[in-house]
Amino acid sequence: MHYTEDDLTLYYYGEGRRRADIERHLDACGACSATYREIAGTLAMVAASEVPGRSDQYGLEVWQRIRHQLPEQEWWFSGFWGFGLAAAAALLMIAAFVGGRTWQRSAAPTVTTASNATDRAHFENPQHLENLANPGSRILLTSIADHLDRSERVLTDIMNAPRGDISTEQRWAGDLLDASRLYRQGAIDAGEGSVASVLDDLERNLMEIVHSPSRISAADLEQLRRRIDAASLLFKVRVMSHELRQREQSPERSTPRSSTSTRVTS
Amino acid sequence: MDATETAAVLARARQGDSDAFRALVEQHSRSVFRLAFRMTGNEQDAEDVVQDSFLRAYRQLGRFESRANFGTWLYRIVSNCSVDLMRAKQSRHDMSRKDSLDDAVELPAVNVPGPERMAQSAEIEARVQDALRELSPLERAAFTLRHYEGRSIDEISRALGLGTSAAKHSVFRAVKKLRLALAPLRRQES
Repeated sequence: MHYTEDDLTLYYYGEGRRRADIERHLDACGACSATYREIAGTLAMVAASEVPGRSDQYGLEVWQRIRHQLPEQEWWFSGFWGFGLAAAAALLMIAAFVGGRTWQRSAAPTVTTASNATDRAHFENPQHLENLANPGSRILLTSIADHLDRSERVLTDIMNAPRGDISTEQRWAGDLLDASRLYRQGAIDAGEGSVASVLDDLERNLMEIVHSPSRISAADLEQLRRRIDAASLLFKVRVMSHELRQREQSPERSTPRSSTSTRVTS
Repeated sequence: MDATETAAVLARARQGDSDAFRALVEQHSRSVFRLAFRMTGNEQDAEDVVQDSFLRAYRQLGRFESRANFGTWLYRIVSNCSVDLMRAKQSRHDMSRKDSLDDAVELPAVNVPGPERMAQSAEIEARVQDALRELSPLERAAFTLRHYEGRSIDEISRALGLGTSAAKHSVFRAVKKLRLALAPLRRQES
């Protein structure tokens, strides 16, 4: 009787049962002894290679790199109080924005806008531009940028998640999905066609995540990732978030972008 | 940082205290980098894994059981981030590889340098790195944890979320592939 290569590998690493038996056998059996020497010789070659050094300040460098990217902790989103918070925040922002527009309309009754106007006419309406330059609009755009950042984290998590349980990501995506719908509508109302388009793509992918099985197979997860990849969604979300932040910092640029003028393409 | 202090820092980090989390990052970054480098074999990839691991750890702090060892919990995250990154790289480069011995290819003997050059450890190291790159992400992760980190099969199975048998066979497949790939080196030596 001979020991298998697997038995001998475990023996090399100090694991496995019958260690005393194997040891005695190796003394007596030339074939097993030769196999063991070959395994040990190979593994001895795979010695610990040099790991590039890192200074004492490395921990601080890592912290500086990640500190602005720290995501919300999961507990924030779990449980009764956390659930739906993003959607509630979205609702408040949109209510504030709509309230602001309504107030402005009533303050300037001479300007009217057809309710069924096309997006183009909507953008060209000077009253509308005035609305978008108001603080309420900027707050809405900032909130959408925050929403895009949160969505990016969920998407990144899905792109990197090990197969298995994605229920946490689904809860998170579910909350963001509700908010996304509200923000998309808000963006349409604000004449932000490009923003609405990205939010529309995002919404479809968040819905895919929410409706996937929680215990996801490797194949299903791969399919989900391919869809996100195919839509270049992470890229679009990042670019749009960046653009909104830029506009937030430069109020004069806080004008609407149509889906035809600055549509994000990959 | 002693055990009591670590527990206090962890408790604060779990409540969302970013300064407390910073202390943990500063304490564990170098060991995380070392493991990530061994897993990926590439400095830039290792840096990405370090960053992803801490971000994932922060998000999942609520799942961490305070009685457990934070370092052990963190190395599980690092292992999984490394496997994910290597899989993503493979996928991107359209080099998907089955976890099968069918893929093990013996390196051609014609490429083996002469005996005098073989004595040079840099040459051996290069061959070993080539052989390690031939492993699938899971095999490499399991092998790294067993061979370099001295983790038991049980610990590897927990770290990678595998059954004990699957973890064991990932190590076995890695050793078999390495034996095949490094056979020309051994023949030169003997």
